[in-house]
Amino acid sequence: MSSNFSNPTLAVVADRENDACWSCGDMRAAQFCKSCGKVQPARPADFFAFFGLPKKLNLDVAKLEREFYLLSRKLHPDVYAQAREEEREWSLEQSSRLNDAYRTLKDPIKRTQYLLHLEGIELEEQSKNATEKARATGEIKKQVVPPELLEEVFELNMQLEEARMNKKAGENDASLVTEIQKQKQNLEIKLEELSSELSGYWNDWDAALDADSETARIQARDKMVDLLNRRNYIRNLVRDVNEVLES
Amino acid sequence: MAYSDKVLDHYSNPRNVGSMDKNSNEVGTGLVGAPECGDVMKLQIKVNPQTHIIEDAKFKTFGCGSAIASSSLATEWVKGKTVDEALQIKNTEIVKELALPPVKIHCSVLAEDAIRAAIGDWKKKQAVTEPVAVAAK
Repeated sequence: MSSNFSNPTLAVVADRENDACWSCGDMRAAQFCKSCGKVQPARPADFFAFFGLPKKLNLDVAKLEREFYLLSRKLHPDVYAQAREEEREWSLEQSSRLNDAYRTLKDPIKRTQYLLHLEGIELEEQSKNATEKARATGEIKKQVVPPELLEEVFELNMQLEEARMNKKAGENDASLVTEIQKQKQNLEIKLEELSSELSGYWNDWDAALDADSETARIQARDKMVDLLNRRNYIRNLVRDVNEVLES
Repeated sequence: MAYSDKVLDHYSNPRNVGSMDKNSNEVGTGLVGAPECGDVMKLQIKVNPQTHIIEDAKFKTFGCGSAIASSSLATEWVKGKTVDEALQIKNTEIVKELALPPVKIHCSVLAEDAIRAAIGDWKKKQAVTEPVAVAAK
């Protein structure tokens, strides 16, 4: 192995797509070589693959956390203080990827969004395309969330604005505040309902992967897109309601 | 992110904020949303039944500065135009006028959606009262 270290072109040769360890040539794992334990340059793998996980949405978060702490320790800069420059760089690179991957996967919503992103779903792009299509055909663009939800969001925003203006004027409309508090409870219930709805789609998605069913996979994917779209409005409202009630 | 002067102007001094009677036959209402960010925009137009010219427009938007500026500008632009002329307004023109950065393009899309939705609502009302006129359109 020591002969490898004398080779100055080694770092250039370390191929990110390649499965072989730069040091011993054996098959390497995501972060370290399975044989010699050397840190490896980060591969262009997704966050699931980074942890050696399948692209499934139900995952053991406690296990993920243990894995995260273990890898964090192994990739810690102190470990590489005396290492070659390339290894120091790679360990930093792997560290930052580890943090991104962990933060994304441990959060149920971020994990779902990330998976949809991997599936090529870009919400903004979808919306723009729908507008362009509406313009070309003269049809009215179909809103991605039900109109009742938009109405509800709009009405509650009006109430919040009124409450803010009251506060500014030093007035206190107790019935309005009570109404907003009631709405807050409704929204929290809604968020919980969305969460349990989402875990249903997770099961659908995971089952579709197991069954290798393209149709079921797309169905589950589209349902998750639809749900996240609705959830964005609710999430904003909860934030704004809290802001008004706490100010 | 820095807003352009035009965005700031519309944001701090929005034109045509308000609402009209959505049950009036001359009024078309569009309520649209941008799920990416949770913004909602309501845009209303009042159309002259004879000339089909948009005589008045009002909006109310809950969202970021760019969304408010886009809808404020949209109401300015549709006023005085016929319904068909207003349908020609493209989000890219709003982007250009307000110098919106790429991350805020969806706000202009929202404004175009709102115009189309308001006009669509108005047309639907005309279809009930004057079915012949719409069939000819």
